[in-house]
Amino acid sequence: MTLPIIKYRGGDYRPRPEAVRSLMAQLARRTSIEVNREPIEIALTDPNLYHYPFIYLAGNAGFEPFSPKELRILRHYLGFGGFLLIDDNSSKIHSEFDASVRNLISQLFSKIPLQKIPRDHSIYRSFYLINRAAGRVILNPFLEGISIKGRTVLVYSTNDLGGAWSKNKLGHWNYDIVAGSSKQRQGSIRLGVNIVMYSLTLDYKKDMVHLPIILERLRRYHSK
Amino acid sequence: MNFLIEFFGAGLAEYNEWDIQWAPDNSEAIIAILGVSVPLALWFFWTSLSRIPSRLKKVLLFSLRVSTFLLLGLLLLKPQLELKKSHSQKNSIAVLLDGSKSMSIKTFPTEEKRIDLVRETLQANKDYFAGLKKDFSVDTFFISDHIEPASDVDRHYQARMPNTDYSKVFADLKKHYEKKPLAGVFLFTDGADLTQSSGDPSSSLVEILAGFKSPVHTFQAGTNESFKDLSIQSLDVPDFGFVHQPIHLTVSLYASSMGNKNIPLVLKEGKNILISKMVEIRKDQASYKVDLQFTPRDLGKRVYSLSVPLFAGESIASNNRRHFQVKVIRDRTRILHLNGRPSWDSRYLREVLVSNPKVDLLSFFILRTLSDDVAAPTSELSLIPFPSNLLFNDYLNSFDLVIFQNFRFESFIDKNLLSNIKSYVQGGGAFLMIGGELSFQGGGYDRTPIEDILPVTMQRGRKIFSSEEFRPVVEKNLQHHPILRLEKKDAFNQKTWQSLPLLNGLNLGLTAKPESHVLVGYKKKGSLVPVLAVAKMGKGRTAVLATDSSWNWNFRRVGEGGSGRYYEKFWNNVIGWMTNAPETRLLRLESDKERYKDGEEVLVRFNVLKEDYTPASGEKVNLTLIKVSGESEKHVLESDQNGDGVFQFLPDQEGFYAVQIELNRKGDRISDKISFGVFGETAEFDRPLVNASLLKNIAGITGGQYVILDGPKDLSDYRFENPEVMVQTKRKTFSLWDNWWSYGLLVGFLMIDWWARRKSGLS
Repeated sequence: MTLPIIKYRGGDYRPRPEAVRSLMAQLARRTSIEVNREPIEIALTDPNLYHYPFIYLAGNAGFEPFSPKELRILRHYLGFGGFLLIDDNSSKIHSEFDASVRNLISQLFSKIPLQKIPRDHSIYRSFYLINRAAGRVILNPFLEGISIKGRTVLVYSTNDLGGAWSKNKLGHWNYDIVAGSSKQRQGSIRLGVNIVMYSLTLDYKKDMVHLPIILERLRRYHSK
Repeated sequence: MNFLIEFFGAGLAEYNEWDIQWAPDNSEAIIAILGVSVPLALWFFWTSLSRIPSRLKKVLLFSLRVSTFLLLGLLLLKPQLELKKSHSQKNSIAVLLDGSKSMSIKTFPTEEKRIDLVRETLQANKDYFAGLKKDFSVDTFFISDHIEPASDVDRHYQARMPNTDYSKVFADLKKHYEKKPLAGVFLFTDGADLTQSSGDPSSSLVEILAGFKSPVHTFQAGTNESFKDLSIQSLDVPDFGFVHQPIHLTVSLYASSMGNKNIPLVLKEGKNILISKMVEIRKDQASYKVDLQFTPRDLGKRVYSLSVPLFAGESIASNNRRHFQVKVIRDRTRILHLNGRPSWDSRYLREVLVSNPKVDLLSFFILRTLSDDVAAPTSELSLIPFPSNLLFNDYLNSFDLVIFQNFRFESFIDKNLLSNIKSYVQGGGAFLMIGGELSFQGGGYDRTPIEDILPVTMQRGRKIFSSEEFRPVVEKNLQHHPILRLEKKDAFNQKTWQSLPLLNGLNLGLTAKPESHVLVGYKKKGSLVPVLAVAKMGKGRTAVLATDSSWNWNFRRVGEGGSGRYYEKFWNNVIGWMTNAPETRLLRLESDKERYKDGEEVLVRFNVLKEDYTPASGEKVNLTLIKVSGESEKHVLESDQNGDGVFQFLPDQEGFYAVQIELNRKGDRISDKISFGVFGETAEFDRPLVNASLLKNIAGITGGQYVILDGPKDLSDYRFENPEVMVQTKRKTFSLWDNWWSYGLLVGFLMIDWWARRKSGLS
């Protein structure tokens, strides 16, 4: 599992340089997923884009609109099996990055609006049982996404997930959690794990064999 | 008249009657018009002759004009001379003898068959019928759901016809006597007409009977007194069912004079008892409904038999047993898919399996191993324990295909359970191992029962996995193998395989077993390293795909401008072959019908393919016909240029038959087997009771008499009206107006009239 960072024009496409490496380390530690910890950067026009079904687009400032070619490539990529995680690292509500992202998504899927991902979505139960979206700063306690033919192809977090994941090589957290505790950081890591797990297993956790156990655990979890 | 007959050239001896026919339909109107117009015209004409002094000329001219008008009138009325030959004909008496199967039922207390009661009456009245033949034409018919002229009644009268339908019988009779006078009908029957719902005849039967001007005397063969019978009256069962899924059937039982007893209702397949259920029979209850349920375990057309015991003194033995056939199919292919770790390879394969409506998928991903630190209590995880015992002990046989994808069994499956997988495959299951670092030697499968069933052997101590890119090569000799058919045309198919993206990630140290087929390989130093290999193991099939990068044929191909179509097709081909889909079999056998009637010829077809899936022409196959008695008949047949062949035979008795076909190819025994039933019609025994009320009604409607035959009856009191009936056998007509002399005469009269008027000084 390699998680490429999407390069784009304008803004900073890598405001949390350690985010992907840190998430990969967490995946390796916590799950059976075989990961490539070294992040790579890739442009949408790169011919090797389809070697990586999961891509990560992050930023903390506005960016230039994608060219029609890039939009076409990204639409095709997502429509035929790819997955995109967008992470707003600005820690601001209605940030310039947020405006650019919403503009990008409206150009990408003019007929499919970005919607809140419901609580019973497999993303919230693909590995950990999660009841709300976390991040370094919780601006919105939810994720938004785009689904095509029952498969969620794009997930957008406004809560600076990358900031919560980032750890330096000495093992210290790079950024403090805003108005929260280490539980919030753990929640962010768990959400990151779940998003990757969802991209690899899709709605596997909705198979009948899992449902009774998951529902029982959720019932207990929520009653706490 | 004789002159006329001579004149028209007809032989006098041939006809004994004549008549004049006036052809136009409205001849009366023509006569009326002529009756008014002709006298008027003649009156005008007579007054126009006043200038002629000679009375003789006047009369001559007037006579000519009258003759002309008469001839004209004759032409308008178009007269025809009809010559006829007639003779007197005997009235007919129809004797209808019910030859349906229900006539074989015994009647009590004499225990005589119904048909025998009729035979006795016919025998006792031989002289009566002989006497009847002097004055009448006596015609005998066997009846069932049609009439059939009977000759030599003593020899040919049998209770063997499968159905009774009086409406059709009387309709046929009416047609038969359309031109012959019918004076009366004797109907010898039990009244058990399946088409009549009760004792009242249907409206269509009443309508037909009302058209009969002669009486129908009904003679009821047998009675319902002390009628003892236990029967399976009807059976409600679907034509097809799903393997491993219960099939429900509802059985209607009928019991008459059986007393109080508990009887077993037994469902069998061949000689194996599937279910036995006790039914409580009570003397005050005739009808019973019993619900049964059974679960078919094998695919194909399955023949089942349902039976109740036969008790002493029962009127009908054959209705205690019923046969039925159910086509057992897969509702969906059940696949168990175990993934050692989440990966793109497993994700795209799962997507294909989930999107296939014919697949019922149960998948498990090992999301964490024992060495992983999830940093959360179990209650905050969505992970469930892996139910290895349930899957590999209890429910393994319910799966059509088991897939291990990059899966290491240790810590999840007890090593002892691997031998269950081996038995499952040998018993007809299918097992596929998909590559990755956790497969084959990496998963610890070498020297385990899994290695025994796989198409490859594994070598240890070497590099067992390579992440390098490689181009897989299709084995040319096996390009017709159903797994490799991405396109129908050979050249296009080859081109398609060559166009697929490279793979990266190959399990090494695998060697194909001699009995396996390497369909796709990787060429290394002149030898072919197996990438995709298949084999038959016992009754089952196994395959290996020694790479974890087949998803490249989906997503990467999309990136290259293609689509995931071939990836999907490839996997569906793999599932089809592994689960022994009919189109993937080398030897196929089928019969032209699902059920044969007694006396019907059976046609069995077979098709043979070579190992490379091209037609095997001229191949000899051994066909074994297993008869009802258990004895078998062997035949050696040869396939034609398309690999096809047929076998026909006429079953000699009712019951189950099986046809097995097999061929030995390089020590590999390939076979197929079908079974089917040959059964006689038993509808006549579904409602076997004598219908006295119906017979009374038939007699009542036609003015006949109703009589119960409880022994030989004397028919000498039966008399029929015998009026003389003339029947015309020959007829010929001649036109008296449409000929040269009538038109010539008309013209002649007019010319003489004209000439005489000129001579008399008229214009």
